[in-house]
Amino acid sequence: METILSGVFALMDRLLPFAFVEPAFMKRALLALLLTAPAAAALGVPLVQHRMAFFSDAIGHSAFTGVALGVLLGISPSSTMVVFGVLVAVAITLVKGRTELSSDTVIGVFFSTVVALGIAIISREKGLTRNLQAFLYGDPLAVTDAELLWMAALFLLVSAYLAFLYNRILLLGIHEGFARTKGVRGPAVEISFALVVALVVTAAIHAVGILLVTALLVIPAAAARNVARGAASALWVSVGVAALSGFAGIVASWYLDTATGATVVLAAAACFAVTALYRVARPRE
Amino acid sequence: MTGSDHLHTLEIRNLTVRKGGVEILSGIDAHLRCGEVTALVGPNGAGKTTLLLAILGQVPYTGEIRFCRAAEHGRGAPRIGYVPQRLPLDPDAPITVLDFFALSAQRRPVFLGASRRTREIARESLERAGVAHLLQSPLGRLSGGELQRVLFALALRDAPDILLLDEPISGVDVAGGGQFCDFLSNVQRDSRFSLLLVSHDLSVVTRHADQVICLNRRLVCSGATTEVLTPENLAAMYGTDAHLFRHSHADGHGHLHDDGKR
Repeated sequence: METILSGVFALMDRLLPFAFVEPAFMKRALLALLLTAPAAAALGVPLVQHRMAFFSDAIGHSAFTGVALGVLLGISPSSTMVVFGVLVAVAITLVKGRTELSSDTVIGVFFSTVVALGIAIISREKGLTRNLQAFLYGDPLAVTDAELLWMAALFLLVSAYLAFLYNRILLLGIHEGFARTKGVRGPAVEISFALVVALVVTAAIHAVGILLVTALLVIPAAAARNVARGAASALWVSVGVAALSGFAGIVASWYLDTATGATVVLAAAACFAVTALYRVARPRE
Repeated sequence: MTGSDHLHTLEIRNLTVRKGGVEILSGIDAHLRCGEVTALVGPNGAGKTTLLLAILGQVPYTGEIRFCRAAEHGRGAPRIGYVPQRLPLDPDAPITVLDFFALSAQRRPVFLGASRRTREIARESLERAGVAHLLQSPLGRLSGGELQRVLFALALRDAPDILLLDEPISGVDVAGGGQFCDFLSNVQRDSRFSLLLVSHDLSVVTRHADQVICLNRRLVCSGATTEVLTPENLAAMYGTDAHLFRHSHADGHGHLHDDGKR
């Protein structure tokens, strides 16, 4: 494990001979962002099509409670955050499919319940607040080697998942009944998608924090919508915007001395603004 | 049941669908005959779309929906094609008509591009439906009529045994609607699938349907088109304030207006 990472770090020194890449913590931060941001942005394209931005926000906020539970039980908060996020994602998806309530209502109920539980735990355990700060705002500069390897594994998982299921997920988002006649099993695809989103959201929290994590899924996909006409370009523009803003954000935060996660999101927002201008200026066909 | 000398592709027995404690459909008995056009008519909220969704297995129901294995279907359940009324897509959705074909026609993820086979299939199917020029158009920007033809082309690609069409000419101008119906009956005559057609337009029904199923949460009546569409049955279905009158520009066929329910 150690040797793989030190090999990657040596390679980064070769490819990126800049001052800001020199410290090991900056290399880790850059790797963390280049692994999680594009994965989140790729999932973001079908997420936006399925109108699930609020869902990813709910998963992000459930991480708050996951961390609190971890500290309370004396287990690593990074792992309780993942497990709890996955549980909430599955619960929302199952309940949503079994009630007459609209999905944003179901998510709203879960969202507030889970956050209330988190606040209740924190208010009982006085020492918790400092632990939570890193998760709320995100701190890619403090990413550990183990977390980096988890992000790399997730990057591969998301790539494989999308290679196998992307067509079915998009078809399901176009029309459920129609997708059914083309052999798409809606509930199974929906659950698997919710699971993968939960895994990526909880990993991306290390990079940009609970408050901003939805931005990594939604902003690149929204920027892609401004310029892409087809399904292929939509995905690649989204991934490109995420990689670009991950890199630009970390460089800018080094020189401006600002919080890295927030700077990355601002860079993504700038990309969105540029694509929106392009869209307005583009001659109508 | 009547018509036992015909092969049935689909039999519905005592079908009941409940949603939120309300019975949307109760005790429906109906069947589709092989290679015939069956129209499903009834006022808004009669449960027509729900019946289609039950056949597709999209809503829970009690009762029985049985797909019969007629000899010409070979083995196994018949293939069902479905043309929804509309797609809940925003106009900006980055999906072209070609992408839409690729989603169901190829294993390769659509973000790696459409395969040569997908392109051939899409071009061929769209040409058949008379909309070859739409191949690269964004799906969300198609007009109602264009979308219907694209969906229809896509449904036909699987050579369905049963085709379910939800309101095939809603949102299409009169001339376009007529063309589409003629095209539809030509294709249906060649391919011999069983067609279940939801329609508000009685001129379409009388011109194209062999059988009619009249629905208003319950089964009002069913049978051969000429026998079923009587004033009494229409009144039972739409209420007594329904009028069957003629459009001045239409070709002598009636068009039902369902006052007060639109």
